[in-house]
Formats: sequence, C-alpha cells, structure tokens
Amino acid sequence: MTNEHTEILNDVFCDVTEKLAFMFGEPSEKDELPPVDTECIEARMTFAGPMTGSLTMAVPVEMCPIIAANVLGMEPDDESVQARATDALTELLNVICGNILTAIAGEQPVFDLTVPTAHALSAEDWAKLLEDPDTLAFVLEDLPALLQLKLESLPT
Amino acid sequence: MSLNILVVDDSITVRAVIAKTLEVAGVSVNCLYQAANGKEALDILAEQWVDLIFSDINMPIMGGVEMIEKLNADATLSCIPVIVVSTEGSATRMEELKSKGVRAYIRKPFTPEMVRKVVDDITGGAS
Repeated sequence: MTNEHTEILNDVFCDVTEKLAFMFGEPSEKDELPPVDTECIEARMTFAGPMTGSLTMAVPVEMCPIIAANVLGMEPDDESVQARATDALTELLNVICGNILTAIAGEQPVFDLTVPTAHALSAEDWAKLLEDPDTLAFVLEDLPALLQLKLESLPT
Repeated sequence: MSLNILVVDDSITVRAVIAKTLEVAGVSVNCLYQAANGKEALDILAEQWVDLIFSDINMPIMGGVEMIEKLNADATLSCIPVIVVSTEGSATRMEELKSKGVRAYIRKPFTPEMVRKVVDDITGGAS
C-alpha cells in the first residue's frame, strides 16, 4: 500500500467512524493494539471500476453492538441494537468504502460496489489479517479494529 | 403538512437512522414505510401513496437505479420525488441519476440539517 493510500485510509476511517457512529478512532502500530480475547467478526465488500479490489474491516464481536448503539442513538444492550449489530458493521464498512474510493479516484469515476457481507473470524484468521502489509490497525473506543484495502488494479 | 415517506435500503440500520434523522430534523411524518430493496418498494407503492422516497442505490434483488426506471415508466408513480441516499460520491453517478429524474442526492454520512434542507427544497418547506 502506498503512503498516500495509507493516509487516505487513516483519514477516512477516523472521519466516518466519528460522523456516522460518533466513535473516535486512531491509527495504531500493529504491535501496540489492545489484545483480542473474544470472537471477532469480519465485514468485506468488493468494488469494480477504474480500479478493482476489496475492502475488509475486522473488529472484536463486542464492538458491533457498540457501533449499532452509537449509530442508532440507543443503549448497547437494547434488543433492537443487538439485532442490528452485524448490519451496523457492514453499513459502516459500506460508507468507509464509498468515501475511500472517492478520495483515491476522485469524483468522476463510477464504481460498482457489492453488498457487504460479514462472517465470524477465527483467532488465526485475525492474526493473518493483522500481519498482512495491506492491513492498517486502529484503536476504536479502546478496542482494536483492522482495515484492509486490496487493490487488484490501480487507477489509471 | 405531514408526509408519507418510503425509505428503501437493504440495511435495517440505515432505515432506522433515516427515520430517526427525519424526526430529529423536525420533518413532520404521517406514515413511514420501509423496504429492503426496489422490488419491496414497488410492492408497497402498489398499495400506498407516498409523498417522498429516500432510496439507496446498491441493494440486492432490485437496486435503486432499476427501481427509479420502473417508477419513471409508471405515469402515476413517476411524479413521486426520489432522494438518493448513498455512500457513492461519484459526480458522474449523480448526474446520471438526476437525468433519470432523481430530485436530490444525499451522501452518507449525513446530518439532520442536510436531510431537512433537501426535504424543504422539494416540499417548499411545507413539512
């Protein structure tokens, strides 16, 4: 990942999490991330256009109801928040993706985005994602979050 | 004037956020209908009249663009103002949607003020 893309991802991640979920994130060194001692969840979507690739976000499962509660302005233990927890993560990824693509490719290109999907992430897969050079690490409300941008073709 | 509003988005969270944003923005809502995709929206519109539609673009089963084209093909439904709410920031896409009759485009993340302004622009501040 180029330094420019790293800077864009850092800026967009922190900006969108603040504006959409009222959560304050900070880029982190990978070896300084808070430890993960619960199950994790990964949301992923792909995009095609002047450049193609995928965006993946992973967080401890306990973060999902916090995101949903903040987005909806409700308490994390509310039943409707629990029911929307995964959906809130995929929507957060969706908004981050749209804003990253505009920041990288500008406002003229049109991209086709897939609907984000989410699935459980094992500790081993979390470690693999963390090690990947295209993955950036963040601390979001004292919890770790990973964001990976994979570009299969670069903007022309 | 209270509005009948249809919110079309595959994310239940976004539908709830738009509903709450309308409330916070002080938009007077009579009935709020929700659909998870364009097909569900058309099913609702076959039974109910709405004054405004807020719609996402990227949805499974039937996306926003196809839904708008079907609305345009119907003499009655084509007059319902559509506001697209999307994560996409492409000016080309916005122009394409406006050429299909979309009245406004709100990019996520959005604020109650942005929603209020768009609703006021379309309704003439009548809501």
